[in-house]
Amino acid sequence: MRLKAEHIEHFYAQEHILHDINLEIESSCITAIVGESGSGKTTLLAILSSLLRASSGSVHYDDISLEAIKNIDEFRKKNIGFVFQFHYLIDYLNIEENITLNALDATKSSALLKALGIEHLASRYSDEVSGGERQRAAIARALINDPTFVFADEPTGNLDTKNAIGVFELFKEFKKTGFVVATHDKKIIDYADTIIEMEDGFVKNIYTQ
Amino acid sequence: MVTPIKALRKNRLKTMLIFISMVVSICAIFLISAIANGVVTMYSTMLKTDGDIIVTQKGISDTFFSDINRSLGLKIEKIENVKKVNTLILGASPVNNLPIVGIYGVSKNRFENYRLIRGKYPDLHEVMVGEKINNILQTPKTVTISKKEFKVSGVYKSDIGFEDGGVVIGLEDASSIFHKSASLFLVTLDDINKQDISAQINALDDGIEAKTTDEFIDNYNQFKIIKISSDVISFLAFLMGILGIVSMMSMVVNDRKVEFGIMRSLGFSSRAIIIKLITETLIVAILAYLCAIALSYLILDAIGHMEKFQGYINGDITPSLAISVFFISIIMATLGSLLPAIWASRVDPMSLILQGGAR
Ligand SMILES: Nc1ncnc2c1ncn2[C@@H]1O[C@H](COP(=O)(O)OP(=O)(O)O)[C@@H](O)[C@H]1O
Ligand SMILES: [Mg+2]
Repeated sequence: MRLKAEHIEHFYAQEHILHDINLEIESSCITAIVGESGSGKTTLLAILSSLLRASSGSVHYDDISLEAIKNIDEFRKKNIGFVFQFHYLIDYLNIEENITLNALDATKSSALLKALGIEHLASRYSDEVSGGERQRAAIARALINDPTFVFADEPTGNLDTKNAIGVFELFKEFKKTGFVVATHDKKIIDYADTIIEMEDGFVKNIYTQ
Repeated sequence: MVTPIKALRKNRLKTMLIFISMVVSICAIFLISAIANGVVTMYSTMLKTDGDIIVTQKGISDTFFSDINRSLGLKIEKIENVKKVNTLILGASPVNNLPIVGIYGVSKNRFENYRLIRGKYPDLHEVMVGEKINNILQTPKTVTISKKEFKVSGVYKSDIGFEDGGVVIGLEDASSIFHKSASLFLVTLDDINKQDISAQINALDDGIEAKTTDEFIDNYNQFKIIKISSDVISFLAFLMGILGIVSMMSMVVNDRKVEFGIMRSLGFSSRAIIIKLITETLIVAILAYLCAIALSYLILDAIGHMEKFQGYINGDITPSLAISVFFISIIMATLGSLLPAIWASRVDPMSLILQGGAR
């Protein structure tokens, strides 16, 4: 699947945040959106991922325009996963229950937990595991329905270097899924296939390595 | 099913507060309805068991104020199909140190549903006391009513609280205490062509009004007032219950914003979130209902045994009351949680990534 953004403009109130963004992102690779804090990475990620509607311009998943999707919930459930800076695991559910909360096929969870190296934590609660493990659980939750794209906003922002690298390595392992990662973490450069550089709301540069 | 219970347990304190506010309002509805029902049932059973037609003064709002001429009873007795006419003076007066007791002036043994458990029916200047009054006054030899002393001739027992907590006296004595000839006639018929006989009785005198007992009970103003008051109070309790749920659930929703944001990002529909929250509230409502019905039962039982109420307050949770209050509880929980649930369903998952997250 290919994600395509054309002539995206975005305003918060009167403030012009994103300027004429045009880009294409392939699934099954890692795309990094990098740039200084305040350059518009999060806003762009939110627009690409259906969480935010751009002031103007269009976002297409293959031929389907986001605007035209009637049941955006169903679309998110099947095609899109999210990883945020904070894990946002629900504290009254254990890890397994968190992961299978909206799973199409809950039986996949054990294999997934195993792939992420946290199968032994399935019945623990978020306050009973480490920060790195929590973020792995959040990634598992994003991956449970085999989405086409996982959007991650500063997924390593709350982790130490070792765990941050662990997260990027994980992204690399799930080859079928496209990861779009907005981050100012320089380490992403070593893992990303495509890098989109943002500056003051403009795409300054896109390069593939 | 597991998930909502886990959510409720996690938010224990607020769940508890919602639970308590529901128990209180459901209890209030049970108690006021049961007690109002009890009063109406007691009084109407009393009238129903003793006659097919009731004759009162025309246009009175309360049988206590009814004043008719006793001699009319003889004329009514002569109407074909009339089996017997019971004359009755209804009044209430202090008895010894009890501030108010129902006094029943009767022609002879009018009460069909009491049993004489001791002594005999009262003659002139004698009274017979209900078992409850007998117990409260500790088996009195005499009682003072309206400054006159009466000898207690016997004790009776009745299942109707008003009677068991009352005093039965001869018509002559009642007449001099309450300064009236009679309050009402209760007419028993051989046959059931009641409407026709009511008309014949009405034709006897301009100042009286004859109705079938059922018709009388259906139209009796005091019953309507009791019923409306109890409905109004129940409705207020219902509103208080809803307000309690709305305010607590709003706080719960606020506490759990992140959870609903995540659910939206995972592709849960607004509807699913609304259903989730309403389900949680319904679980609390069902538990609150069960607790309230048990509590109300205990309270009603305690009230029934309280001497100072002389058995006049006496409520029963009938199956139909239990069922309707169950549905009221369900509606209360649904309406109360609907608005907060809608707020929850509108949590924007963008809040999770804006300015470093919704923490
Ligand atoms: N909800 C908002 N309302 C107003 N301005 C916002 C909002 N979110 C972000 N901004 C502004 O938009 C710009 C881009 O923000 P953001 O997309 O979060 O950048 P980044 O993720 O690269 O730090 C910043 O100047 C920020 O202050
Ligand atoms: Mg950001």
